[in-house]
Amino acid sequence: MQNISLAELPEGKTGVITSIDTTSPTAQRLLDLGFVPGTQIKAMKRAPMGDPTTFEIRGYQLGLRRSESEIVEVEI
Amino acid sequence: MSQEQKKKITPQSIFLIGNPNSGKTSLFNAVTGERHHVGNWPGVTVERLEGVTHTKNGDIQITDLPGTYSLTPATPEEGVVLTAIDEAAHGTVLNVVDSTNLIRNMFLTTQLIEIGINPVISFNCYDSFTQQGGKIDLQKFSNLTGCEIYPTVGRTGKGVPALVEYLGKRDISEITAKASSALSLPEKWLKTAKEAIKLDNLRWETATATQRYNAINSLCKPTKDNPKLEEIRKRLCEELSAEKGKKVTPSTLACDLAEDRYHRIERMVKVCATVPEKSIPEGQQKIDKFLVHKYLGIPIFAALMYFVFWTTFTIGQYPMDWLEALVNLLAAWVGGFMSDGILKELVVEGVIKSVGQVIVFLPNILILFFWIVLLEDSGYMSRAAFIIDRTMKSMGLQGRAFIPMVMGIGCNVPAIMATRIIDSKFQRMLTMFLVPLVSCSARLPVFILLCGTFFPENPTIWMFVLYVIDLIVLMFLGHFISILSNRVEDSPFLLEMPPYRIPTPKSVWNMLKEKAMHFIEKAGTVVLAGSILVWALQSFPIIKDEELSFDYVGQKTVIEAPFLAKKAEIEKSKLTDKEKEEKLAEIDSQIEDATSEINFKKNEEKTERSYLGRLGKFMHPAFAPLGFSWKETVTLIPGFFAKESLVSTLAVLYQTEEDSDEEGAEAKNIENRKKLAVAMGKNGMTPLKAFVYMLFTLLYVPCIATVGILWKESGSTKFTIFSLFAYFGLAYIISLITLKVGEIIAARGSNGAQEAAVVIIALIAAWVLLSRLINGLKGKTSAVGCGCGCEGCNKCVNKRDKR
Repeated sequence: MQNISLAELPEGKTGVITSIDTTSPTAQRLLDLGFVPGTQIKAMKRAPMGDPTTFEIRGYQLGLRRSESEIVEVEI
Repeated sequence: MSQEQKKKITPQSIFLIGNPNSGKTSLFNAVTGERHHVGNWPGVTVERLEGVTHTKNGDIQITDLPGTYSLTPATPEEGVVLTAIDEAAHGTVLNVVDSTNLIRNMFLTTQLIEIGINPVISFNCYDSFTQQGGKIDLQKFSNLTGCEIYPTVGRTGKGVPALVEYLGKRDISEITAKASSALSLPEKWLKTAKEAIKLDNLRWETATATQRYNAINSLCKPTKDNPKLEEIRKRLCEELSAEKGKKVTPSTLACDLAEDRYHRIERMVKVCATVPEKSIPEGQQKIDKFLVHKYLGIPIFAALMYFVFWTTFTIGQYPMDWLEALVNLLAAWVGGFMSDGILKELVVEGVIKSVGQVIVFLPNILILFFWIVLLEDSGYMSRAAFIIDRTMKSMGLQGRAFIPMVMGIGCNVPAIMATRIIDSKFQRMLTMFLVPLVSCSARLPVFILLCGTFFPENPTIWMFVLYVIDLIVLMFLGHFISILSNRVEDSPFLLEMPPYRIPTPKSVWNMLKEKAMHFIEKAGTVVLAGSILVWALQSFPIIKDEELSFDYVGQKTVIEAPFLAKKAEIEKSKLTDKEKEEKLAEIDSQIEDATSEINFKKNEEKTERSYLGRLGKFMHPAFAPLGFSWKETVTLIPGFFAKESLVSTLAVLYQTEEDSDEEGAEAKNIENRKKLAVAMGKNGMTPLKAFVYMLFTLLYVPCIATVGILWKESGSTKFTIFSLFAYFGLAYIISLITLKVGEIIAARGSNGAQEAAVVIIALIAAWVLLSRLINGLKGKTSAVGCGCGCEGCNKCVNKRDKR
C-alpha cells in the first residue's frame, strides 16, 4: 500500500482515491465528476505522446491531462 | 426578471438540463419534432435552443441549455445553466439523465433537489440500460426522490409521448422539491446553509434557487474577508467530524459535500435499482485498443484527416466548378435580357457573381460537416482529440482544435464553422482567432505566381519558408494569448470518451441542413454586401472611353484594320467553309495578340482612375515602408474580397496575362512570369520585397467571407474588429522585420539557396527564443496565480462563485 499521484498511476493499474487537492481550481469539477475519496480508478491508456491519459471511473471513461490528474492522490 | 417575463414562465415552460452527451439535444429534437426552430448554435450568441411543441393540454415551450456535469460552472457556457436556473425554477426542469451512467448523472439531479427544484427526470438511453442488464423500480425511485420519472430513448423517440403528455398537464404545485427526498441536503449541511444565507439577510425559505446554491457553495470555499462565514464553516466541520468519526477540515468541506452527495445517490440507487456491473463495454475497449494505439493511433488519425481533407477540397472542387459554371450561365442568361449599361453591370457582375461567391463555399462546408457529424456522433472525435491533444497544446489549444486548424489550410470559412466542435468557449474563440492566419488554398495562387516569378530556381523552398513562418506565428500567438489571459490552468481539460455509436441518417441530415441554412443566412449577407462594395470600388466612377488620356479605341481600330481587311478577303475567296473558318480563327488570335498591349493599357488606366486605384494610392504611404509600390497596395483591396483576386489584379496592373490552366500552357505561363518579373522589377520590386509582399498577403486580413463567418460565429462585433486590427498589425510588424533582416542579409551578398538556409536557421533560432520567452512568462503568471491581483478578471472559477 502506497500513496501516489494519479498522474503516476501506471497504465492498466487500479487505485483508490484517497484525497484531492482542493486548492486547485480543477478540484471542484473532478469532485463533481465523482473523484471522491474511496472511489476506484483505473488508468486505461496513455496517449501516444504520453499525455493525456484516459481513466475509468464509476463506469465511464475520462481523459485528463497531467496537470489535472496530478491533484488527485491514489492508494495502490 | 421583470414581472412580465415572470408571467410567461409556467410549469409548461420546460428547461432541459443534463450532462454533456446525455442525449439532451436528441431528446429536444424528439420532443419538438419537426416544429423546432433552431435559434443558433448553443454556446454561441444565443447559448440556448428554444422550441415549441403542441400537446392536447396546450403548448409547451422547451429551452435546451448547454450540457453540464454540475451546477458549479467550469466554463462560461456552463455558467449559462446557473444563470438560467432561477427562471427554470418557476417552470419545469426536465433533467435528462443518461441511465447507462446513472450515478454520475444523478449528481446534477441531487444539486437541483438540494436547492429546492423538483425536476422531472427523463431516464434517457433506457434501451441500452436494460440491454446491459440494468433494472430499476421506477415507482420506488420516484417515491424516494419525489420526482416524476420517465424512461425515454431520445434517438428513437420511444417514451417521449408519455413524457410530453405529462409535461403538458404538470401542475404548479409539483415544481418544488419535496423536503423528504432521499437526495435532499443532510440536516447538518442544511442547518449551516440556512445560517450562511442569513449573513446575506436572506431566508432559505424565500430565497431563490441561485441564492440557495450560492449559500451552499460559500460553505465549500474558503474566504478571507468573511470571518462570520469562516466561523460557520468551522462549526460545520466540528459537527461533521463528530458525526463521521473522521477529521473534516474547512479545506476539505467541498470534498466532503461531494462525497456525501455520491453516498446519498449510491444508497438510494442500491434500494431501487440494479445497475449493471459497469465497466467499459468489451467492444469499446477493443476498438479503443486499435484506434488509440500507441503506434497505430497517430497514423490512423492522420489517414482519416487526410481523407476528410481530400474529399472536402479535392472532391469538393467538382461541385464548386459546377456551381461556378451555373452562376456564369445564369449571368449570361440574365445579361441577355438587358441592354449594356451600368444596370447590367450591377446585376451581372455585382449581384449574380457575388451570390456565386457565397454559394461556391457550400460544397466544402457540406462535405466537411458530413464527416464531422460522422466523427462526432460515432465517438471518434473524442479519441482524435485525445491523441492529438499534446501537439495542439504547443499552440495553447486543445485536441479538438485540430480539425478547424487543418481545415483552415483548405479554406478558412468551413474551418471557422468547424470550431463549433470545441466545447470550451475560450478555446473556441482562440481557435477562431487563429484560423484566419492559417494559409488557405486561395492564398496559394499568389505564392505560386510570385515564388515562380522571383525565385525561379527554387520556388518550393521559399514557399516552405512562408509556411514555416506561418506556423511559428500561430504557435507563438496561441501560446501567448492563452498565457496572457491566464487560462491555461483555468479551464480544466476533461475529455469524456463516449461509447461508440452508429450515427443515424436523421442526425446527419439535420446537421447538414442546419449548416447550409446557417451559412447562407448568416454569412451570406455579409459576403454579398462586401462583394458588391468591392465591385463598386472597381467600377466607379464610370470612365467612358473618350475620357481616357489616350485614344485606346482609335489605336485599336488602327491596329485591327489590316487584319479585318484580310478577314474580308477570306470571306470573299472561294475556299471551302471549313478552310475559311480555320483561317478566320487564326486571324482572330492574331488580332488578340496584336491588341493585347493596348487592352492592358486601357485596363490599367481604368483601374488607376477607379475609386479602387485612388484608394490604393491614398493608402500607399502607409505601405511604402514595407517596400510596396502603389500597385501592390491596390491589390490588397480586392485581396480582401478574395485572396486569389490579388493575382488577377496584379496581372491587370502589370500588364501580363494570368496563368492559364489549359494543357500545354506551361511554357506560356513561364514566359508570362518572366514578363511579370521584368515589369515588377522595373517598378522597384526585388525578390526580397516580393517575399515580404507574400508574407503580408498571408497574414494581413482574411477574405470577406472569412470575416463574415468570424463575425457571425463569434457573435461579437468587438471580437471581430479587434481580430482584424490584430491581423493587420501582426502582418505589418512581421513584414517589416522580415524586410529589415532581409536587407541585412542581402547586403552581404549570397545566392538564393544560402539565403534560404540562413532564413531557416534564423527561424529555428527565433522559435527557440520565443519558446523560452513563453516559458518565462508561464512561470511569472503562475507565480502571480489567481485569487490575488486579478480583481478585474471575472474568468476564474474561484471568483465567479463568490457572490
